[in-house]
Amino acid sequence: MTPRIWAALLLALCASVLLALVIGPVSLSLGDVYGAIVGTADSQAIAIVRTIRLPRIVMAVLVGAGLSASGVALQTTMRNPLAEPYLLGVSGGAAVGAVLVTAAGLLHPAAVELAAFSGAVAAVLLVIAVAHASGARSSSPALVMAGVVIGAFANAAILVVLSGAPAGAVRDALWWMMGSLSGATWSGTAWLALVVSVSFAGLWLLAREIDVLSLGSDAAAALGVDVDRATRRVFIVAALLAAATVASAGLIGFVGLVVPAIVRALGARSTRATLVAAAVAGAALLVGADVVARTIRSPAELPLGAVTALVGVPFFLARMRHVA
Amino acid sequence: MSSLYRILSSSASPHRTLDRVAMRLIAAAGVAIMGAACADSNGQSSVETESGGAPSAFVDDLGDTVAVGIARRIVSLNPVTTEFLFAAGAGPRVVGRTHWDLYPAEAAAVPDLGNGIGPNVEAVVGARPDLVILYATVGNQRAVAALHAAGVRTLSIRTDRIDDLRRFANAYARVTGDSGGIVVADSVLASVEAVRQMPRPLIAPRVFWRMGDPPLFTAGSGSFVGELIELAGGSNVFGDISAPSPQVSLEEVVRRNPDLIIVGPTGAERIAESAAWRVIPAVRAGRVVVFDTALVARPGVRLGEAARHVRELIYGRGGR
Repeated sequence: MTPRIWAALLLALCASVLLALVIGPVSLSLGDVYGAIVGTADSQAIAIVRTIRLPRIVMAVLVGAGLSASGVALQTTMRNPLAEPYLLGVSGGAAVGAVLVTAAGLLHPAAVELAAFSGAVAAVLLVIAVAHASGARSSSPALVMAGVVIGAFANAAILVVLSGAPAGAVRDALWWMMGSLSGATWSGTAWLALVVSVSFAGLWLLAREIDVLSLGSDAAAALGVDVDRATRRVFIVAALLAAATVASAGLIGFVGLVVPAIVRALGARSTRATLVAAAVAGAALLVGADVVARTIRSPAELPLGAVTALVGVPFFLARMRHVA
Repeated sequence: MSSLYRILSSSASPHRTLDRVAMRLIAAAGVAIMGAACADSNGQSSVETESGGAPSAFVDDLGDTVAVGIARRIVSLNPVTTEFLFAAGAGPRVVGRTHWDLYPAEAAAVPDLGNGIGPNVEAVVGARPDLVILYATVGNQRAVAALHAAGVRTLSIRTDRIDDLRRFANAYARVTGDSGGIVVADSVLASVEAVRQMPRPLIAPRVFWRMGDPPLFTAGSGSFVGELIELAGGSNVFGDISAPSPQVSLEEVVRRNPDLIIVGPTGAERIAESAAWRVIPAVRAGRVVVFDTALVARPGVRLGEAARHVRELIYGRGGR
């Protein structure tokens, strides 16, 4: 990637963040926003910028970066342009956890997040166990197949739980599944930042294995890499990253699929460069998509997952023309 | 699990630490879940109505402690509470409502802030409220947390059953010191009680309340509609189900053989023409009546009218 493209990506991120800071139901100028950040604006502007807009933007950055980096790692390792976290059981497991807690009417503030995260982790472990039990160990095709099956099972479980749940719980669960950043708080953001940075560092450390795995399993084995073990490690770290984003913001589709394709089209080659470029591009995309989600039908909000898919599909189709 | 652990920890390479990190994260999540589950068992407290404790704070249906103090600017994100505030004379203090709060007519003049569940927090804060009233549900917890972070007081109350009106009136009086609403709740519930006291036959007509379709829903004993059927002198054929709005099968409706079927505006024609519904004797005999959706929409200040309406549906205008 040329320095010019790096600069363009960073500029896109800055522009979307500025837009997200300024646009909202309460009109604030750039000066008001600055005043709110440094503490000279009135108390309402401070409350809106510091406790509503900023945590939401930071969470959008983390979710976009996390999903995109996770997608890069999985697609490269598995040599499959469709290998994104949601295809591999993460979203299904998270949704089962969230739906169970919602249908049970648990009222602890962090219950849904924790249940979604645990559900995603359980699904990932189950996918590995299924792939392992099949005798194929952690080969990429086995993980993809196991992920699809666990995902289908999760969908069935969600339908069973929701069909017997009260109408209010069905509504709450559906809204969670549509994905939203509207509940972003600093404490939730801090937790997400911790998991995202640890997992991102993990992928960074695994970058050389990912590079080698991208050559194909035979070539990687010939270069002395334990293909199954390396694939499994990448899978676990990438899945944890995705699980944390899903727990915080619900299901936001297409980011993990499209952003890696975009940055590759922009010329990203080495795994580390692709990871960073995808994180920046994913953050910019999600912050921008969230602005769209909360302004188009203001004061009502569009589901963020729907906006990312609407934006993502044309990109993906354009990209497909090059591949096919 | 032991084999899973083996898979995760069977490595002897430098990346073993990474596997350990993964395991620790998973273990931490597990511990946190258990902690959350324990906290929840004592975190769910119901609204106390008359308590002798210190009047400095109040615990609402989401388990949040609500500070006591006058409310001058109220955002009401629940149609039930909005109509209550207007009936209680607090209408001029309502500075925000949901998209669906259109009763009474004056409420329509209040700024529309969008959804009542999963509301737009910034739009709510932008109305500069000193009290935000929400429906107590899991889907509102994130909004409540964000509002607290912005320093806004919230009061979350469930409004599913008839008696929830009194619970809300008491909670509102306790939190704001404005007890004008208690009279309103008393008067509404007195007119509901008057319907309950009306004469009724020894054997109550068996009523099926049809909603949705498809999927076919009805009113269980956990909803105000189920309560209205019973107090208006009917016997809800699905009154044994405690859920507010259980999904039921047509076959089960046939088996329970109601004497009267109460349907929404479009329902009467549809079931009269349906061969499947005509299996039920009450449908063939034309014992199908249409309820007023505006009146029986919610357990609010029109519950008295709603109770009289359901009584008329079951017993006819003269009371039969």
